[in-house]
Amino acid sequence: MEKNIAIKVTNVTKTFKLYYDKANTLKEKILFFSKSSRAKNDILTVLKDINLTIHKGESIALIGTNGSGKSTLLKLMTKIIYPNKGKITTHGKLTSLLELGAGFHDDFTGRENIYFNASIFGLTKKEIDAKIDEIIAFSELGEFIDNPVRTYSSGMYMRLAFSVAINVQAEILLIDEILAVGDQHFQEKCFDKLMELKKAGKTIVIVTHSMDQVKKFCDRAVWLYQGEIRKDGAVDEVLEEYLRVCG
Amino acid sequence: MGDRMKVFRELYQYRELLKNNIKKEIRGKYKGSWLGILWTFLNPLLMLAVYAFVFPYILRVNVENYTIFMIVALIPWNFFTTAIQSGTGCVVANGNILKKVYFPREIIPISITFSQLVNFLITCVIMFVFILVSGVGFSYHLLLMPLLILIQAVLTLAITFILSALTVFVRDIDHFVSVFLTLAFYGTPIVYQASMLPAKFQWILQFNPMAQLVEAYRAILYYHEMPDFRMLWIWGIISVVALIGGYKIFKKLEKSFVEEF
Repeated sequence: MEKNIAIKVTNVTKTFKLYYDKANTLKEKILFFSKSSRAKNDILTVLKDINLTIHKGESIALIGTNGSGKSTLLKLMTKIIYPNKGKITTHGKLTSLLELGAGFHDDFTGRENIYFNASIFGLTKKEIDAKIDEIIAFSELGEFIDNPVRTYSSGMYMRLAFSVAINVQAEILLIDEILAVGDQHFQEKCFDKLMELKKAGKTIVIVTHSMDQVKKFCDRAVWLYQGEIRKDGAVDEVLEEYLRVCG
Repeated sequence: MGDRMKVFRELYQYRELLKNNIKKEIRGKYKGSWLGILWTFLNPLLMLAVYAFVFPYILRVNVENYTIFMIVALIPWNFFTTAIQSGTGCVVANGNILKKVYFPREIIPISITFSQLVNFLITCVIMFVFILVSGVGFSYHLLLMPLLILIQAVLTLAITFILSALTVFVRDIDHFVSVFLTLAFYGTPIVYQASMLPAKFQWILQFNPMAQLVEAYRAILYYHEMPDFRMLWIWGIISVVALIGGYKIFKKLEKSFVEEF
């Protein structure tokens, strides 16, 4: 196995069963047995035989129209869902910024929630202790950090969540539609932080529709089209063709 | 072998999450209520008061110190039943977070069993106070209690693994479990003596691990005698096998959890 590989996707196929009215209880399962077996025939193939190798230190953008399978691929990489066929291996600590604030508990203070949230990313108490000042400073919450999270505005909430996620010292960051957090000032700060992580040699995979961000941030782009990789290469080349076809 | 080590290594890596979840489970339950954590004591105490008041009048159990006779069985039973009840729906209840982020999924059932175990150990303090005050007192048999607790915890975790994973796919299990637990309460010699059960029903006790455990608790805490070691061995081994099997089932099913929410 090559040493400098961060994520390796081999022959991955992902399908979803389409349910029109999903039977979750036993009664429904029995009553609608014939119906549900028909419904199960509607299988949506979201990703078809994807092969992709991402090296350590690369910044990759996954682009494509809605429904092309970008987010599904990202979720597969985080192991939230699993492929039907094929294999995905990752090397190094991985953090996803797909959904921020996972595990936040409204009644607990911001500080307590930092511990909850960071522990979900697999950090130990000691590691969080070492990082907590940096996280609080980054969130710019100041004294509010010791108030219950339910008293926060949605902007404050997201700022806290983002600060934790970006400060957990991951080797690989998976990001779905970044920089929609907080005001202009905070967004710029997040962008700077990501640049800093990129320079520090972290592997970053971004799903975005903002071509601006792709150009500014990534070295490589992968264009997904109807569940297949249509083009993979340097940002300029891929974007040019993407915009020509889809723009 | 490498795989088996990986299981423990990952759990060790996520120990802070496990600890936080257990804490949240214990503390969060009563957050916002006036008496807070005190309810951990009050809840079993009040329930005990009800049982101790009601059962001597309907069931003619001729034992000395009926309250102690019952409490040493009821409190372990309570651990079992609350752990299974809250464990059955635990994966479903955490569906939202499972959809958002990866962490070893088994942390959820494990933290339910452990938080209930902690609650149980706290209520054991009340039980010990009762045993002392009533004059029943303790004997060296008490030293066997950790063994009983261990078997019970392993059994509980095994069942929780299986039920919590299956409930994701068939939500009705939750309801079956509550009914079944109510039934099992009467199929376990908690408020009555095992010998009071008619001969034709005695087999139930043989196949009910909780009946065997409850009898063992009662032997060491109430009768001050040795428990039935043969039965403890049998159920101890079954529990360990069930735990390994339950874990494997859970790991197999966890891959499609998220698509069911």
